[in-house]
Amino acid sequence: MGKYMARRFIQSVLLFLVFITVTWFLLYALPGDIVTQKFRTNPNIPPEAAETAIRRLGLDRPILEQFWTYVTGFFRGDFGVSFNQYPRPVTDIIAERLPRTIVLFLTAVVTYYWAGFIAGKYLAWRRGKRGEMAITVGGVGLLTVFYPWFALMAIWLFAARLGWLPISKFLDPTEWRNAPYTANEVFMRLFWTVAITSALLFTVQFGASKIRDVGPARATRLGGTVLIIAGFVFYWWGAGGVDIRPFAGDIAEHLVLPVGVLTAVNFAGIMLLTRSSMLETMREDFILTARAKGLPEKAVRDRHAARTALLPVTTSLVLAVATVIDGGIITEFVFSWPGMGEVLISSVTSEDIPLAVAAFSFIGVMALVGHFIVDMLYGVLDPRIRVSGSH
Amino acid sequence: MTDLGSRPPGTELDATDTEAVESQEIAKAESIWQIRWALFRRSFRANWKLFRRNRIGLAGLMIIGLFAVLAIAPTFLFRAGFWETSTYDPVTGLESDPPTAQLEIVQVVEDPNTQIDIRQVLVDGRISGNLGDVVDVTLQPAPPDSKHWLGTDPLGRDILSQLMFGAKAAFGLGILAATVTVLIGTVVGSVAAFYGGRIDALLMRLADLLIMVPGLAILIVISAVIRFQLWHLALVIGILSGFGGVAIVLKSQALAVKVKPFVDAARVAGGSNARLIFAHIIPNVMPLSFLYMMFTVTTAIQSEATLSFIGLLNVDMSWGLMIQLANNQGYLLQGGRYWWMVFPAGLAVTFIAMAFFLVGRAMDEVVNPRLRRR
Amino acid sequence: MSRPLLEVDHLVMNYTTEKGDVSAIQDVSFTLYEGEALGLVGESGCGKTSIAMSLLGLAADNARFDEGEIRLDGTNLLALTPDQMRQRRWNDISMVFQGAMNAWNPVYKVGDQIREAMDLHFRPRLSSREVEARIAKLFELVGLNPAMINRYPHEFSGGMRQRAIIAMALSCDPKIIIADEPTTALDVIVQDQILQELKAIQADLGMSIIYISHDIAVIAEVTDKIGVMYAGKLVELGPTKEVFARPKHPYAYLLLSSTPSVTGPRRKLAPLEGEPPDLLNPPTGCRFHPRCPYATERCSTEEPPITDIDSGHQVACWNWQEVPELGGLTK
Repeated sequence: MGKYMARRFIQSVLLFLVFITVTWFLLYALPGDIVTQKFRTNPNIPPEAAETAIRRLGLDRPILEQFWTYVTGFFRGDFGVSFNQYPRPVTDIIAERLPRTIVLFLTAVVTYYWAGFIAGKYLAWRRGKRGEMAITVGGVGLLTVFYPWFALMAIWLFAARLGWLPISKFLDPTEWRNAPYTANEVFMRLFWTVAITSALLFTVQFGASKIRDVGPARATRLGGTVLIIAGFVFYWWGAGGVDIRPFAGDIAEHLVLPVGVLTAVNFAGIMLLTRSSMLETMREDFILTARAKGLPEKAVRDRHAARTALLPVTTSLVLAVATVIDGGIITEFVFSWPGMGEVLISSVTSEDIPLAVAAFSFIGVMALVGHFIVDMLYGVLDPRIRVSGSH
Repeated sequence: MTDLGSRPPGTELDATDTEAVESQEIAKAESIWQIRWALFRRSFRANWKLFRRNRIGLAGLMIIGLFAVLAIAPTFLFRAGFWETSTYDPVTGLESDPPTAQLEIVQVVEDPNTQIDIRQVLVDGRISGNLGDVVDVTLQPAPPDSKHWLGTDPLGRDILSQLMFGAKAAFGLGILAATVTVLIGTVVGSVAAFYGGRIDALLMRLADLLIMVPGLAILIVISAVIRFQLWHLALVIGILSGFGGVAIVLKSQALAVKVKPFVDAARVAGGSNARLIFAHIIPNVMPLSFLYMMFTVTTAIQSEATLSFIGLLNVDMSWGLMIQLANNQGYLLQGGRYWWMVFPAGLAVTFIAMAFFLVGRAMDEVVNPRLRRR
Repeated sequence: MSRPLLEVDHLVMNYTTEKGDVSAIQDVSFTLYEGEALGLVGESGCGKTSIAMSLLGLAADNARFDEGEIRLDGTNLLALTPDQMRQRRWNDISMVFQGAMNAWNPVYKVGDQIREAMDLHFRPRLSSREVEARIAKLFELVGLNPAMINRYPHEFSGGMRQRAIIAMALSCDPKIIIADEPTTALDVIVQDQILQELKAIQADLGMSIIYISHDIAVIAEVTDKIGVMYAGKLVELGPTKEVFARPKHPYAYLLLSSTPSVTGPRRKLAPLEGEPPDLLNPPTGCRFHPRCPYATERCSTEEPPITDIDSGHQVACWNWQEVPELGGLTK
């Protein structure tokens, strides 16, 4: 496993280097000297400052030197200064927004993957063939629906029509007028508590499954879950979180619809894939063996069929990383939700090149990291891969 | 093949036999492409029968046909004079005689941009009146009527016409993108499979990178430097997909073909590498290529619609643009009230994407016997 | 001798399908004694695998047991609830499947999969160390290196996986093991080894085994008693040596005389014509009569019951006396 991980890591790093090289060439090295022009013609930037910036960024230097500056700048965290929010450094903007997008992405991925897998598992186990056409067409419909339109319809239904949720944006400015906290503070607090809670819950589930006796295992699982949720509730509703809660609630409220829409569309894909994967796995000989050993049906379904059906589904997750990031970008745009995707689009629309490049680079990094994690996950799930290194 | 007739082994040929041989037809040597064409026609018929069994795939095909009709319709409608350009052009048309309605002013509100609720709004300075007055209001966007089957948009343009032009754009883009993808992907995959070694590694690394990085993000960032037009977009999508996912799949298919005996035979017969690749390997991976064309069309159409929706595409009229307009002017949040602005474009993109996807899936069942319903 | 362990008593089983009822098991009866090795032979589709599945309670969902009983130590297995049956599975009867190499789940270690079976049935629960020790002993018994216990199935060769399956089948000390085509998909040398080992294990542990095969040679080697099945019916049953020397059912006779013998005298090979019947609409009377060279009028109308013709030797045929002597033995 260690060797596998190391190998994939090196590959990822190499890919990353290629990635930023290509990105840079695409944007900075194109003939016509676009970036320098942009600096000079941008009304926000006073001319002397523009020249200083050009010199500082080295835009008047030979290409290779520019490239070197860029790469080293990357690792130093210096991407230059935004055109539009001049003179705010790009890194600032990215740092503010990156965590938000990661949260959006992670929440959506974990939710849809889990929900889709469970749905697919149940649908397959109940004599697969029933309602096959309805499931296929419905699933494909959700899969191929035009995403921006779908998001807008969801906004119309849940926000405009039913009024359950806010229409857009990250938070409601009127409620934050005299807030003692910044949005990011609250957001990060929210993120960490949810993340830790989820991690603990997962650990409990995992640990309980390792206990051989059914009785104690169930008790551990139940007890652990109750304890952890109680802890979460206690934190937010107790003394520690009482004054921060309304703000966190506001942010959370604004998260529901974006995450919901992103989840719904990707859910269908996993559900369909799990279902067909389960149906195939159920035909395997080892399922018969499991039954013959005297395992109860649920155990056969979960411990043997589902666990093995998980493999092709996880493989699909490799491609899904890119798709979900794309979906996240559109989601942020439609909801005016200030994350990496939104800044990518707005910076491109307003021709703020440094910001656009940085946003894109980080999105690429997110994708690479996500990819790496999925590779690791697959290595954990499929012992065959660890030995041979390829499938 | 000459048939000498069945005879027990051990007997000799005599004079009468030679006659028989000469009077038989000796098959003439056919070119490999003629043979391939004949095989293709035969297998096409067999595959069509298999495809037909999948009802969902057929439905998809019908939907595509419907949209194809929509795409071709405008040319015919304009030529035949059913539609005058001045009224029905999707971009510049204007309904010169829009419907009006008599409405009572219930509440006076200043909102010059959207006619959110005509009964409530006092529209900039043009309509003046007091509470309780009944005024004539021009309905724009107008609901569907006999002249405009799907109504008009806020600028007085016919929605059905827009839908049709959108179909044309979608098909054009989709097919172009898919063709480029398949061309590039097939060649890249075959070359990688054929040569192996460093070339293979290089091409596959590139492909890995391309499938890892989010496609939409790439398109967005590129549009910062290039003002995308429809055919630019098709090319870029084609290149990205062709060197990416499609290359990987086609490479494994090409590998399977490469080890078949007839490739060795062709090599022994003195075929050059290029000939082996282009005349032998590629034709045999073609069926799979067509399959991926279907999925590429789906992606291309979705990408185009998304980019026009965001406003990064330089196109006259497309479905994405329709939705953008509807959204920017607040009509999408109206739901049912302005349904002709809200539903047609969105459903169009959805259905055509769905149709190509379902057809692709059905084709997959034909090409991969493993997937067929047992 | 020993006491009767398993009694299959006039078992009848049909599959309900869209096209109608498929008669899979037609009035089959036999008794398996403690420590005995029984063989069931027949063409594919003759019902032998259906019987095996029925013994384990793993018959398909659309299987209907219209008549008969399966008594294990006196208890009718068909009358048990699913939960009760589950407790007996593997504990009392276990199975070595056809193509057992694929019977391993690729994502779990072999040892863990065997442990899973043991955890289900051993009361009180064995500790980890006890389990490990027991599996190690089982591995040694089947000729596997105990170091492989914590390896994954893909790290085993085909033959090794087969042996591991046997180890797993033995893990809960079953009274009966069913070996369904235990040697198909293995090369001849390994086949022989496995068979010899099974025989040795059986003798060692005093278990009963039911061998199911279409390969008569396999059956002959290792069984005490043999049953010939055709189209869901048991047509001949008797001590192996006896049946091989003097088969009295035409089908058995034809089967045995179509196997060339290397050591025995030269014989003319008698071909078996035709194909097994469609069990959706089986032939009237004796199911073999369309292909039987000794068939008479009666055979097409009345179904012959299974009758004793010698001690322990039973045949279901009207004309068994017409069946000639086998020209030379196959052993």
